[in-house]
Amino acid sequence: MAQTQLAVLFTSTALIIIGLYSAIFIDNIIKKIIGISFIEEGVNLFIVAIGYKSGGIVPILMPGMDASWFSSNSAYPLPFGLVLTSIVIGASTLAVMLAFVMVLYKRYGTLSTKVMLADTSKKEEYDE
Amino acid sequence: MNELIPLMVIIPIIAALLISAFSKFNTISKILAFVVAICLPVIAIASNYGLHYFGGYEPILDNVTGITYHPAIVYSFTFLQQIFIAATGLLAFLVIFIYLAKYRKVSGPYLFLLFMGTASVTAMLLTDDIFHLFVFFEILALAQVGIVAASSIDYSYEMALKYMILGSIGSPIMLLGIGFLLALTGSVNITDIVYAVHNGLVDSKSPVFLISLGLIFFGWLYASGLPPFHTIKSGIYSKAEPHGAALLQSFTVISMISIVLIMFRIYSSLQIFEVLIVFFSILAMILGVSLALTQTDFRRMIGFLAVGELGFIGLGIGLGTQFSITAGLFQALNEIIITALLFIGFGAIVNATNEVDTRKLGGLLFYHPKVALMLLIGGLAMAGVPPLSGFQSKLMLVQASLNCGYPEISILAIMVSIATFVVFVKTYYSIFLKPKPKDLDVENKQVPKTMIFAMAILLIIVVLFGVYPDVVTNGISNFVGGIL
Repeated sequence: MAQTQLAVLFTSTALIIIGLYSAIFIDNIIKKIIGISFIEEGVNLFIVAIGYKSGGIVPILMPGMDASWFSSNSAYPLPFGLVLTSIVIGASTLAVMLAFVMVLYKRYGTLSTKVMLADTSKKEEYDE
Repeated sequence: MNELIPLMVIIPIIAALLISAFSKFNTISKILAFVVAICLPVIAIASNYGLHYFGGYEPILDNVTGITYHPAIVYSFTFLQQIFIAATGLLAFLVIFIYLAKYRKVSGPYLFLLFMGTASVTAMLLTDDIFHLFVFFEILALAQVGIVAASSIDYSYEMALKYMILGSIGSPIMLLGIGFLLALTGSVNITDIVYAVHNGLVDSKSPVFLISLGLIFFGWLYASGLPPFHTIKSGIYSKAEPHGAALLQSFTVISMISIVLIMFRIYSSLQIFEVLIVFFSILAMILGVSLALTQTDFRRMIGFLAVGELGFIGLGIGLGTQFSITAGLFQALNEIIITALLFIGFGAIVNATNEVDTRKLGGLLFYHPKVALMLLIGGLAMAGVPPLSGFQSKLMLVQASLNCGYPEISILAIMVSIATFVVFVKTYYSIFLKPKPKDLDVENKQVPKTMIFAMAILLIIVVLFGVYPDVVTNGISNFVGGIL
């Protein structure tokens, strides 16, 4: 495994672990969402690393290139295509989550998940 | 007509976009939604079985290695896909029909979400590409969140955000598992992955392969609402409009079976896989029915019962024989229909009383006898009382666990069914049979005829599958024989 690939895998693992810690243990909803983004980006980075080829060329078959030489020297393009889709999905999810946070911040005046997302059944009993 | 296969996904997506774009024109939106909703089950029934290669890219044979691989996305349409897509399509039609009749001015974005959710589960069932499945899994999660948030029920936003946060952790973890599979096999096509795994091209004992199982399994637990996600899943059902909840639970069941069947094809050689499924299924059965017993909100009660029923599906698939998987899939089909019937029926009660607390209800048998009768039959079907559909599938599951040499699982399944019956009877008594509380106002409120119509249709299917289970079990069994 190339050193670059190893470094990228290490970084992606670190991003996922930091993101999981933030998403599970930090109370502030914005920090939680930042943590979730860390997880998503860590996974994207991992998938990009799969397609990496040490000393490889960009996977675009240009006119005049020998097909067998190209296939043995180019990076694997499939992971890059997948990551592109994954980034779009992540951005959409992030936007929707932040929209919810905006509405709930106006309602509760706080970003604390303990207040905002407390057990709704208990809230209902309290309201009654 | 194999050309119809992609249309099952494309038509609801185009309808969703058009309805959203023309939501200012109320009549046009209503007509379009109604027409497309009718088409959903019809296309599934009219289409021939077969494969659809997107872009016309058929499988390529590598002359050097002798391996055939799939360069593009493939949709596979068999009896299993047909029956589940037709059931979801019918349910989507009934839900949209109830919604269109209930509101004079309809919401384009809400209809958009209903159609996108339906399109997503259809694609998840059809696809033979694991990343394509992941993309629609994410779209489905967004649609589910939107359907919950669009309801006018208190704390729906909080529940939607909570579901989304958990989903945003579960989905990337599942994607990471897909990434590991891609790293091992170089493909995201499920047939290619299965070929690589079962022909020794991938070491099925390697840690990377096991990690990929763990990660995808975690995503599956989130998608199915099995423990530890059972509370949030029943929570989102209780915060959606009742007709929306009826559709949401069908989305959950279809996500569950579409992912688990793929996992089964890839990981069936690992014994730990079947153990994990059976363990979490039993946990879901016990937790679902126990928590349902403690609920006073009947929407939440059905939500937990639905989670318990998911355990039966997982149990059938986890046992791993042709008969048990057939039983599990038949149970999945029955759960879609029966739980929808219960959600719509109890939705009719909410509509008539604006009350969801069983302690504040009572005496509704004389005000709404049709709803009471249909709910009773639905509840008995869920508990597994003969000759209804739930009985047939649960009997098959008990037989399957006995055949596999696990009589203790059979006893557990019977006990959970009895507990389900107790929970339902307790709730039914509270709502319909006990004396009406003085402050409960039900005099002038009628149950919409669309809800009665929807319940009647679902009830006919429940009785039909109960009396003639072979109509579906033979076809499902053939499908299962093909993947084993």
